[in-house]
Amino acid sequence: MNAILTWINDRTGIRDAWRAFTDAPLAGGACWLRTLPAAIFLTFCVQAITGFFLWMYYSPSTQTAWESVYYLQYQVLGGWLLRAAHHFAGQATLVLAGLYLLALIFSGRYRAPRETVYWIALLMVLCSLALLLTGDLLAWSQNGYAGTKVRASFSMLLPGIGEEAYKLLIGGPAFGHLTLTRFLALHIGLFGGGFALMLVLHFVFARRANRTLVLEVKKTAPFWPDQAARNAVVFFIVLAAISGLSLWHGCREADLHRGVALGSPADPAPTNSFDAARPEWAFRGLYQFSHYFPGDKAIYAIFVVPGAILLLFFLLPFLGRWRPVDYLNRAGTSALLIALVGLSYLSYSQDADDPKHRNVLAEEQLRADRAIALARAKGIPATGALTLLQNDALAEGRLLFRQNCASCHNATDKDGLDIAAEKPSAPDLHGFASREWIKGLLDPKQIMTPKYFGGTKIRGGMIDFVRKTLPDLLQDENGKQSLEAEKNLAKVVMAVSAEAQLPSQCDLDNRDKKLIEEGRVLLVDDFGCTDCHKFRGQGKLGMAPDLTGYGSKAWIAAFTSDPKSKRFYGQKNDRMPSYAESVDPSRNLLSPHSLEMLADWLRGDWFKE
Amino acid sequence: MTDSPAPLQERRGFLAKLLAIVGGGAALLAPTALGAVSFFNPLRQKGRAGGFFKLATLDVLPDDGTPLKIAVVAERVDAWNRYPNESIGAVYLRRAGKKDVKVEALQVVCPHAGCSIMFEPGEKSGKFFCPCHNASFDLAGVRTDRTSPSPRDMDALEAEIRNGDEVWVKFQTFATGTSRKTAQS
Repeated sequence: MNAILTWINDRTGIRDAWRAFTDAPLAGGACWLRTLPAAIFLTFCVQAITGFFLWMYYSPSTQTAWESVYYLQYQVLGGWLLRAAHHFAGQATLVLAGLYLLALIFSGRYRAPRETVYWIALLMVLCSLALLLTGDLLAWSQNGYAGTKVRASFSMLLPGIGEEAYKLLIGGPAFGHLTLTRFLALHIGLFGGGFALMLVLHFVFARRANRTLVLEVKKTAPFWPDQAARNAVVFFIVLAAISGLSLWHGCREADLHRGVALGSPADPAPTNSFDAARPEWAFRGLYQFSHYFPGDKAIYAIFVVPGAILLLFFLLPFLGRWRPVDYLNRAGTSALLIALVGLSYLSYSQDADDPKHRNVLAEEQLRADRAIALARAKGIPATGALTLLQNDALAEGRLLFRQNCASCHNATDKDGLDIAAEKPSAPDLHGFASREWIKGLLDPKQIMTPKYFGGTKIRGGMIDFVRKTLPDLLQDENGKQSLEAEKNLAKVVMAVSAEAQLPSQCDLDNRDKKLIEEGRVLLVDDFGCTDCHKFRGQGKLGMAPDLTGYGSKAWIAAFTSDPKSKRFYGQKNDRMPSYAESVDPSRNLLSPHSLEMLADWLRGDWFKE
Repeated sequence: MTDSPAPLQERRGFLAKLLAIVGGGAALLAPTALGAVSFFNPLRQKGRAGGFFKLATLDVLPDDGTPLKIAVVAERVDAWNRYPNESIGAVYLRRAGKKDVKVEALQVVCPHAGCSIMFEPGEKSGKFFCPCHNASFDLAGVRTDRTSPSPRDMDALEAEIRNGDEVWVKFQTFATGTSRKTAQS
């Protein structure tokens, strides 16, 4: 054994180097401060190794980035843990580098002869921040995409070279494939490689500073065993923290949300922009700070002030040569730290108190879950996961409803998937055309509530019928409630609702075939619905909406296309817009595909596993 | 012996330095320069033709100044991919100016909360109306009610007539909810 080691040492000098390292006296003896760069080395190794394996699965393009991360997260054995470990090791690197920098400043070790060591620590902090920023985009999820878009747009603030800087940063005039390839290269090559270089330089510079200091101080001790023991303790704490966080995140909610959450795939359509994008925690303070510099003043918050502070930090070793300035440096660093923490707290608490923000996040969570569920059940087409969402009634219909309908209509769902209008002025469309919905419409107590016509300008007609005529129809000759008539009304409800052919009522409709047949006759004969409405060849169009096929996919598509048409409300239409009245598709607000998605969503007709 | 050993040493040292600088410089700089050329390639890429779109021809726009809603469908190129038809928004176009022909273009997106503004034909000339919170605007996009929910008038877009009858519009979207009209990139 020894012979082999000697052979190796003779040809590489590795044992001599190791001995030189462990035996060299350390100025001041063993200390906890020295464990920090060792711990940074550890977390960086974790990042580099996990990053290498992530790289094997990652494919940087707008149609494959999210998709490849999805595949890693949900299909590759242990992929989620690999991703989580990489994520938390990155966070740990930043925390440790920040702590190290602060420790150097507060212990006065940023001054001679350790200036270069301090600068390296500062560069390590900057590198890990840059790793965080570039890494955020790579999964190509809504949050990372929208956030990076905002951050990249800051480069446009630079006077004179703004547009050029923006193009160079994102690899072209707009976000796309080349933004991802560029960010990946920056992430791994420039900032990852840069960090490795910083670690090497740190070792060299720290050793050199140590050699100078050893001559000045009395107390010295070799690396082995005291310093090694302290390093080992910190190593285990840091490793335990990274593994703990990674695993704990994985244990939370079954396997859909294991590891670090993957948001919904980025949607570049301007109408679908994500309004709740936030930077990583490390940038929250700066993010909040920028809010105090609106419009053209943003350049101060993003470049001038942070740039000046950074410059000061680089000059700190020179400034700190004089005792009083040294104290000032420490006080200034404390003040900056307190300001950042305070601003971050403010930002988080403002978000927590903002129902609109929470709402956007909840919608995003729904889309993310849906994208993952669809990808698992159907597989992802070559056009990318966004196509899955765009062709899914649950995701796309809901999005279209929020964008086009929710300004007037509610969709109150007991399952907590509510969509609430700011000021509802039109019927609540949750469960539209279901038996329950139609029963409510025919209820004198309900028809004028905001759930039905309460918020509309529609008066007379149907409302008078339900409130005045219908109660009479439900009484017998003696003026008492007629059970018979009520049963008949229930059949009419079934008959109208059956027109919709709702998937959720498929079994009921089949079961009640006979009652529905009876209802169709009663609708015409007993209740006189066809006095105003057209229904299966009876009655005429022009007075009230057509009941033939009421609530079916074709009916909803035709209604939303043009509610002003004779088949629906005609001149009586309140404020319901015509979304596709023209034969020329370019004149219409919504495409046939969008109308179809909306109709399917209203009918609860979407892909179920 | 004309050469003394000292200058020879100096000259050797100088040669070695020169070699190191030239050789090392070439080894590092040449590939870096090659990389830099490709790195700066994005500067050659143009955005959406300066942001101007040909949306209509003059003969399509009604003579009486009634606005027409035109969807902005654009081809999008992302590096090696070409997406032929992507709808990126819509614009109201209308003829204005009696003597010389002028075209006015307005964003359909309401400056208040981002809903789509409708055009309602009326007895006189009609008006713009946002169904969400009942903001109304005249044909020039100016708010007509003093208590309008909209913080600013409808967002006008730059419109030009090129080649005699082509209507070109600089299509932009703007931040909603503020009195200041801030273009979004």
